[in-house]
Amino acid sequence: MTLHSFIANASSDAVSRGARPIPAEAGIGLRLPHHAVVRQTAPAAAWFEVHPENYMTPGLADELAGVAERYPLSLHAVGLSLGSACGIDADYLSRLKALERRVRPGLVSDHLSWSAASLPTGPLHLPDLLPLPYTEEALAVVAANVDRVQDALGRQILIENPSTYLRFAGSVLGEAQFLAALTRATGCGVLLDINNIEVAVMNQGGDPARALADYLDLIPAAAIGEIHLAGHAVCPLDSGRAVRVDDHGSRVCPEVWALYETAIRRLGPRPTLIEWDTALPAFDVLQEEAAAAQFILDLAAMDRAPVPEAAHA
Amino acid sequence: MPDLISLQTRMADALLHGRFAALGDQIVAGPVAAQEALGLHRNTVLCALSNALRLTFPTAEALVGEAFFDQAALAFVAVHPPARACLTGYGADFPAFLETYAPATDIPYLVDVARLDAVVEEVGALSVGADGGVIDLGQMLLILDASIRLLDLTYPAAAIRDAIETGDDAALGAVDLAPGRYRRVLWRVPAGAAIRPLGPAAFAFLAALLDGAAPDTALKAALAEGADLIALQTEIFAAPFARLTMSPTLETDR
Repeated sequence: MTLHSFIANASSDAVSRGARPIPAEAGIGLRLPHHAVVRQTAPAAAWFEVHPENYMTPGLADELAGVAERYPLSLHAVGLSLGSACGIDADYLSRLKALERRVRPGLVSDHLSWSAASLPTGPLHLPDLLPLPYTEEALAVVAANVDRVQDALGRQILIENPSTYLRFAGSVLGEAQFLAALTRATGCGVLLDINNIEVAVMNQGGDPARALADYLDLIPAAAIGEIHLAGHAVCPLDSGRAVRVDDHGSRVCPEVWALYETAIRRLGPRPTLIEWDTALPAFDVLQEEAAAAQFILDLAAMDRAPVPEAAHA
Repeated sequence: MPDLISLQTRMADALLHGRFAALGDQIVAGPVAAQEALGLHRNTVLCALSNALRLTFPTAEALVGEAFFDQAALAFVAVHPPARACLTGYGADFPAFLETYAPATDIPYLVDVARLDAVVEEVGALSVGADGGVIDLGQMLLILDASIRLLDLTYPAAAIRDAIETGDDAALGAVDLAPGRYRRVLWRVPAGAAIRPLGPAAFAFLAALLDGAAPDTALKAALAEGADLIALQTEIFAAPFARLTMSPTLETDR
């Protein structure tokens, strides 16, 4: 099956089950403290994205089902641990599937990372998105896990490039190369997190613009199904150096907006999410950030619109 | 380079216990040193788990303060790290851990406060108004809310929680901390979890029903606590977490 036919089939499967497609517009990451605002005032938002782990109890699943009746919804998981050599947690996957069936999201995604390991003392799940060595072995592990999830859900998932602080000595592939190979092996899509590119490249030494170009050169445009934008912190270390921390706790910085504009000009409009997780501001601040992304999306759409022929005198 | 499963086992153990030296040769030196990068990951893990406990045990944290709570949380995490991705329910063992946590021995009511916090969190995650057990009383059915939970505490944790939630320092200071029997029923309401006191008979009756006992067995349990029927009627049959309905067989007969 080709990538394009897989995406088409997976999307149509999800839509045939009643999923509302995510528009190529700017959406907002919905967090629990904003549920009351959404429930009571039904604010303007093109779509919402949530972490499914927060809704795996009956009461909160009820709440999310109410949101899904009014807005297109995307599920952005942090718990699949797609890079774990010990495989996918069957219990977690069945909970995710139950929620997916209930709220019928337009998109489902998780990260190119791992969190779970099997220790002699038993299974361990660390609540962080830990980096992978980019090796052929890791590629086979991630591909097998992505296959399992896509088979269980009966749909394509998107995989997000991670924010990282370190690089493994054993890596033999670049990150974009690794993700491109993963899309070929599994038919998964890519969730391109522009802030993560800025964070990871600055932490490891390099040029974020060059890294973005690698992504856009190596990954087929059709496979990039969503974009994430967020703020990050620049924190001093004891060593006197500084580290970019992907804390999702501030407005999108100018460097990330510039990278985003480059990506959108090249890709065309894509569903774009404003993520904000720590020091959560009032909901209207998120709407302002989404409006800024929408402005860039609208410009790109205008650039791509066919130019009307001049009227002949 | 070790295989992936070995690398992940070593890295998980290193992050959990702060033993980074074993990984140094696996990481390329960059602008952020390997030890610093691993320290950031460890900090993320510990903060996420402490925050998960803080959200589940808000009264316990308010009672002992942030610094004390964080120390207790970190000690708990070291011996009870999560095994699953979904952190809902993580910390169910935290009250039991506090029983043996030496710095908390001077605060005997802390364990009960944590027990109440845990059940409030558990009930708050359930659906509102879902039917649970159906008790056949002959011509009537007693239908219990699916979210009902019972707590039999030694200290007045609900009074402490109320005072802390409302920021009423005077009420908190006035709580009588003498040990006793504090029987409480909790169930799901739209705003979260409702908490009510139950008398000994009503508590015994409801506990027996929730354990699956037949109504006559539950009644015997209530009688053993000196039941009077008026108490059962007001505390159970007329309570918002229970409703009486006519038996379907009887409705058909009509």
